[in-house]
Amino acid sequence: MANLNRILLCFILIFSAGCAATTGIYRDPDMDFEAIQAVAVMPFANLSRESTAAERVRDVFINKLLSTGAVYVLPTGEVARGVARAEIQNPPTPSPEEVIKLGGILKVQAVITGVVREYSEVRSGTTSANIVSVSLQMMETQTGKVVWTASSTKGGISIWDRLFGGGGKPMNIVTEKAVNDLIDRLFK
Amino acid sequence: MILLTDFLNRAALILLITVVLFSGCASAKGKLKEAYAGEGRFLIAVYPVENLSGTPAPIKEIRESFISKLKTQGFDVLDVEALEKFMARHRVRYTGGVDKAIAKAFKEETKTQGVLIISLELYSETNPPKIALTARLVSTGDDPGILWIDGIGQGGDDSPGILGLGLIEDPKALLQKVLQSLSDSLQNTMLSKRERMDIRGGKRKFRPKIAYRSPILDSSRKYTVVVAPFFNSSERKNAGEIMVLHFIRHLQEFENFNVIEPGIIRQELLTLRIIMDEGVSLSNADALFSTTGADLILSGRVMDYQDYQGIWGKPKVDFSALLIERKRREVVWSSDSHNEGDDGVFFFDWGRVNTAYAMASQMTRSIVARMVK
Repeated sequence: MANLNRILLCFILIFSAGCAATTGIYRDPDMDFEAIQAVAVMPFANLSRESTAAERVRDVFINKLLSTGAVYVLPTGEVARGVARAEIQNPPTPSPEEVIKLGGILKVQAVITGVVREYSEVRSGTTSANIVSVSLQMMETQTGKVVWTASSTKGGISIWDRLFGGGGKPMNIVTEKAVNDLIDRLFK
Repeated sequence: MILLTDFLNRAALILLITVVLFSGCASAKGKLKEAYAGEGRFLIAVYPVENLSGTPAPIKEIRESFISKLKTQGFDVLDVEALEKFMARHRVRYTGGVDKAIAKAFKEETKTQGVLIISLELYSETNPPKIALTARLVSTGDDPGILWIDGIGQGGDDSPGILGLGLIEDPKALLQKVLQSLSDSLQNTMLSKRERMDIRGGKRKFRPKIAYRSPILDSSRKYTVVVAPFFNSSERKNAGEIMVLHFIRHLQEFENFNVIEPGIIRQELLTLRIIMDEGVSLSNADALFSTTGADLILSGRVMDYQDYQGIWGKPKVDFSALLIERKRREVVWSSDSHNEGDDGVFFFDWGRVNTAYAMASQMTRSIVARMVK
């Protein structure tokens, strides 16, 4: 029986090692998310080694959010103009005061900021696969309060990759999966 | 006796075909002249080739070959010396477009009716060679517009055929093939004054991966479009300019769009001192709408535009596009597209695309088709 438990534990560990996860979700219970009609997506912070990772993920996120038809997303050029006018020192991490000021300039109900934590290829022995890890937060522009946060990690080496190789999915597909996951959490 | 009769019959048939073909060529030249008989001769000035390839290329030879092909097809081409004098007089250094002042001066001073702008987007002599070119004819006078635009991107191994008999290993032969195709396209357009093509759909794999289309976009209306510079985040030099040309070419294929000559847009951006660090802001858009009279502004960002040299490798293109509408000051189209040359290829390289140009062309065509729906 003890042996069987060990085998089961081993299987669970192996399977869970390659699984993607959405963690750290917070939704303000007092916030009326349906009142949000327009949002500004700030430039994302980049903690990965790929220099264009933040731009790539932001681009995909903006397009995906617009394509839902649920909210209107301001063009990035307009957000940049608002950031310049509000004199925000560090656009990826604005202070609550700066968010309120930006909301007034851009006439949006919420501002979304993000961090790309991982955007690379991971290796394990001879196997490699792409991995993307993103965290987002939404701040409402009336009070500058954080009303929603979520993070998602997609890709990585799956059991299939370990057994049969294949190199995982292309980075664009993995990014879309991570963004889809985050948007699903936003409208949940 | 029977054999002799058979031979004579064949010879007569060949002679007949030759006569018919030659008479066709002669009438083609005649038709070209007739087509513009109302406006006198149709004189074209051929600008020096704009090299967007980011690599050294025989641009002088390309221009000369194009001019000789145009002359063979019956076009009148402005003398190179006269063009150089005109360019020096007006201090024309930018050869990727024509602004209003230059277009007017062309008409008044040289009686030129069209300016041919050739943009070289890829040139690789490494076997198999690869070449990509876009050319457009812009009218002169007070209101310059795009009369014709076409492009072609080819690799020497695009159609290898049985036992590799279709392989083109000589870059000069490939260049001649590309130039012939472009000059034929120009001639066909001018002769028939054909209506613009309306190609909808395209291959499924080239569709945008994420797309948003606002219901505000009216598929029955004709829009005037400004294609603003695309922001280039890729490692390929001039990828933004190349994407602009792809979009202009495919927007022009549809009756729903009238694209403003990019040379005019460039001049307006310089006059208005607009610098777009992160894309088009609404204030920039307002300024462009009011000065150009456009209904839509298209812009975007290029993330990847990769070609490869030699046999091994695959092209990669990744970009996003954004369309802003004048009245509502809103985004009416937004999309994200990415493809690699071997997408959807499973057997014997069937369906493989060898140049980023050919792939980007199909991707942009697919986007424009969905814009008009």
